[in-house]
Amino acid sequence: MTKEEIIDKINSVLEEEFEVDKTLFLPDAPLMKTLDLDSLDLVDMVVLIEHNFGIVLNNSDFAGIKTFQDFYDFLYEKLN
Amino acid sequence: MKVALVTGGSRGIGRACSVKLAEMGYYVLVNYQSNETEANNTLSLIREKGSDGEILRFDVSKKEEVEAAIEQWQAAHPDTYIEVLVNNAGVRRDNLMVWMTDEDWNKVLDTSLNGFMYITRVVLKNMLVKKYGRIVNMASLSGLKGLPGQTNYSAAKGAIIAATKALAQEVAKKHVTVNAVAPGFIRTDMTQDLDESQLKALIPMGHFGNPEDVSEVVGFLASKGACYVTGQVVSVNGGLYT
Repeated sequence: MTKEEIIDKINSVLEEEFEVDKTLFLPDAPLMKTLDLDSLDLVDMVVLIEHNFGIVLNNSDFAGIKTFQDFYDFLYEKLN
Repeated sequence: MKVALVTGGSRGIGRACSVKLAEMGYYVLVNYQSNETEANNTLSLIREKGSDGEILRFDVSKKEEVEAAIEQWQAAHPDTYIEVLVNNAGVRRDNLMVWMTDEDWNKVLDTSLNGFMYITRVVLKNMLVKKYGRIVNMASLSGLKGLPGQTNYSAAKGAIIAATKALAQEVAKKHVTVNAVAPGFIRTDMTQDLDESQLKALIPMGHFGNPEDVSEVVGFLASKGACYVTGQVVSVNGGLYT
């Protein structure tokens, strides 16, 4: 998948799951705060990524992910 | 299909819990470690209640066995999940502290406390994602009051009570409740070496309890109706300790 395809897919998935308008998903926007997620909600995120991208994550993978751009970069790296 | 898992479900209180959950319409996974005959007897009792289930053999104190058993079961049943977990498996290795062996200390802690962690961790994930779950941990009077000759068992059950309270707060917003039941003297294989005729004098109700006295409470805590009860320890002890 290209990075653009990944961004399109993850934005759609996040919008549907967490019911937040994807126009708010700006590259520099804080991921967790924008999605209104706390540490427990990471379970939902992990399962979501596993189901949609087939990659298994754990909470420590999110330690360095602050923004949407960080998340896109992380997924791109994992998927390639 | 609504699914419940009872660890140490083949005999005693675990069997009574398995049968109670079957009465409530659950498909019951009966975990056992050694006694397959008794596990199958429990399964027969479940079927007599008009429900169904299966037996799952694994040692709760062995992380790899626990994870393999649950993950294999879940992979074979992708359309459902374990929504009720009764952490009942436990062993006693009583001795005075001065004579307590490392083996007896570790055996009790490994089964009651580490076993709780290994199984709960793997089952909890789906409960959180599905935003519904009931976890009932079998504590004990020994964990509330402390009983001489049971420092290992008291330590394990006391830790289970503390873990119950911590986890309950951790997962409450996902509508997963976590409670504990603390039985006193209950007639089971585990207490058959105790002298009921002597000990009953200590109990205000004047007799040992039956496994079904405990499973009724477990059934309530596992029910949808107990949605606002979490982090609690319910004693079932005939008034022995209040």
